[in-house]
Amino acid sequence: MIRLALAVVVVIVLTLSASGCSDFVEPNQLAFVMASGLDHAENGMIEISHQIVIPSQLKKGSPGKSDSYFVMSAKGKDIFDAQQKIQRKLSRRMLTSHRILLLVGEEFMKHNQVSVMFDKLGRDPANNLRDAIVMVRGGSAKDILMLTHPMEYLSSVAAGKELQINGMKSFSSRKLVIDSLAEGSRPIIPFFQIEKIELSRAKKSPVAVLSGFAVLDKQLKVKGYLSDAEGAKALWMIGRGSSDGITIPWKDGNGALSFRMTHMNRRIHVLRGQDPKRVELTVAAQVYLLENTASLDMSEVDTMVMAQHYLNDYVQKDLQGTFDKMQRWGPDVFGIGEYLHRKDPAWWRSQKNDWDENFKKLDVTVKAKIQLRSSGIIGDQLK
Amino acid sequence: MKVSGYQIFWLVNISSLIVFSYLPIHLAAEESRQDCWISIGLGCAIMMAITWLMLRICMQNKDKTLVGFLNDLLGTVLGKLFAAVYFLQWFLQMSAIMKGSLEFHNLILLHNTPMLVILLFVLFLVTYAVLRGGIIAISRCAEIIGPFFLFMLTSQLLLNPQDMDAKRILPVYVDTGWFHILKGTFYSLNYMVDPSIILMLFFFAANKRTASRAIFWGTAVSMLWGLLASLVLLFVTGPNVASELVFPVYSLTKFVSILNFIQNIDAFYIPMWLLGSLIKLSVYLFILSYGLSEWTGFKNWKLIASLISCAWLAWTLYSSHYLRLSYTTKSPFLIGFFYPFVYAVLPLLLWLIGSIRRRRALGAHEA
Repeated sequence: MIRLALAVVVVIVLTLSASGCSDFVEPNQLAFVMASGLDHAENGMIEISHQIVIPSQLKKGSPGKSDSYFVMSAKGKDIFDAQQKIQRKLSRRMLTSHRILLLVGEEFMKHNQVSVMFDKLGRDPANNLRDAIVMVRGGSAKDILMLTHPMEYLSSVAAGKELQINGMKSFSSRKLVIDSLAEGSRPIIPFFQIEKIELSRAKKSPVAVLSGFAVLDKQLKVKGYLSDAEGAKALWMIGRGSSDGITIPWKDGNGALSFRMTHMNRRIHVLRGQDPKRVELTVAAQVYLLENTASLDMSEVDTMVMAQHYLNDYVQKDLQGTFDKMQRWGPDVFGIGEYLHRKDPAWWRSQKNDWDENFKKLDVTVKAKIQLRSSGIIGDQLK
Repeated sequence: MKVSGYQIFWLVNISSLIVFSYLPIHLAAEESRQDCWISIGLGCAIMMAITWLMLRICMQNKDKTLVGFLNDLLGTVLGKLFAAVYFLQWFLQMSAIMKGSLEFHNLILLHNTPMLVILLFVLFLVTYAVLRGGIIAISRCAEIIGPFFLFMLTSQLLLNPQDMDAKRILPVYVDTGWFHILKGTFYSLNYMVDPSIILMLFFFAANKRTASRAIFWGTAVSMLWGLLASLVLLFVTGPNVASELVFPVYSLTKFVSILNFIQNIDAFYIPMWLLGSLIKLSVYLFILSYGLSEWTGFKNWKLIASLISCAWLAWTLYSSHYLRLSYTTKSPFLIGFFYPFVYAVLPLLLWLIGSIRRRRALGAHEA
């Protein structure tokens, strides 16, 4: 009997304490951080802003009526310092492991060593390195975090979905860290701008829109901006686009052809082994004709062959233009250096220290290998 | 106390997986970067050879534990001395694992819980298992935990397919060269598996033939897992990040994100790892106390086990106050002298003496 009582007492004490009563935070004591922003502040400080959801507002569903989030920010010597200051003002413990978006302000990029934030991202186990990193151009990250989105309940959720639905593969912070540490490739990150969008006659509201891409060098300083259209081409050549659309003007200004593109790929190979290297970058895709204002009779197989041929020539010229422009900036976002590193490590050793300069001198030709899969569900135009 | 071949497979397998998932990959990647899988592979080959050597010794001395046959082969004084060296090795290993798991817990899960509380719970459980049923209880637990543990560890490696890029391990060899590859092996190999535990465990095996096969396969499976893990780590993160990750396998679980839905697998990984480390620690405690009881001639090994856990508690608390005592993985004395001695030199010596004796005995018998 005494043994049994003793056992029961031990079991109760064990279950109570071992189940973590001493160090447990209830969900209603947690503040879920969905997005964070980094901005430059004066005197060598940085400003951190956290977008925190208000769970009780989420249930009501309809966005717009009452805000389902709020933004808290603080300045500090480093990320942790600023975060502590935010924490002191909050009634709940911040939980950053579920963050989906990390915004970095343009000013921050300009004035600070961006790689300092990698240390916090990597060292602190409260980060998951799965969150997307997006830059903010012409404004601060804090401003964007404060914006409401017409469709989604959070602007950060909207940003994540926007990247995904437009077929852009992984701009996670882990990918950025890997790219920026690699010797033979440089990072490229998307940027947001605030645009005033007329949502209805009565309502015109500022919305954060994905408006292009920033090309960064080894020190993560911006070397050039690509517009959204150029960015899509660049992503294709980098191998990070997955699906997209393209519209090409037909010969002599006779209308245009629009295609849906899938299975976008790219391949690099060296044409000549010695120095100077000649590199060929082949982009491939499968396209489906969805709009034809060029009065082409697509029921004829000859026309289809001609269209495919013309499309290839056009894309080749177009992408070469974008490539040359980006090559003049210096940073090798295409990872050609990494390819050459793997192909010819001995040659790479002589090149890697000054790769940005050497990349400018590299002879790269862009080739297109696009396959027209279908011309839609009508043949000739409906006249 | 007898243990079946199947149970011994899991005992050895878990013991090896626990350290493998914790220390060596980082140590190798620091040195040999994208070629760390070669370092690990070489280390695995060496460790398999050592396991084979240990098994030879065990087969020569089927009816004795380590303490018994050391006495037999080297005489009382030397035998006792070298047995003490092994005791020291086991004690160091079990404190290192204990220390590692405590530190990991305080860092990641339980920020405010005093380390002493976690330590006491783990110690209580380990000591309870050892006192209650000795090796029988431990091996039964291992039999249950083992399959889940191995499944979890292996499947989480394969949950990152969309982030894997096999080209990240290129170029092979050219960037690092043999010196760094061998250095990576040298640093990491001692933490892949502790082959010396089988010198003690083998005595408890019911059927020696199946047991030696089980030990061999138990080690081989964990070695293969380690090789796979280092390859996957390189595929997912590339050499630059991989060489900085202190807990690479844990970090891999955090990277998993399938369709933005399957995430935070580390919530499964950490408890499984804990259960596994429980097996490993209990095995150490058991063989240490059983060995000591033979060594001293004091029959009550359960009392010794309780005393050891007290010493263990004291040592863990003491060493946690001195960073130099807690971070010994790269200590030149340990990896340059101590481990080679207990893993290779001494076993080789034992095997040679054993073989010569056997031949002599055979010769005498024939004459």
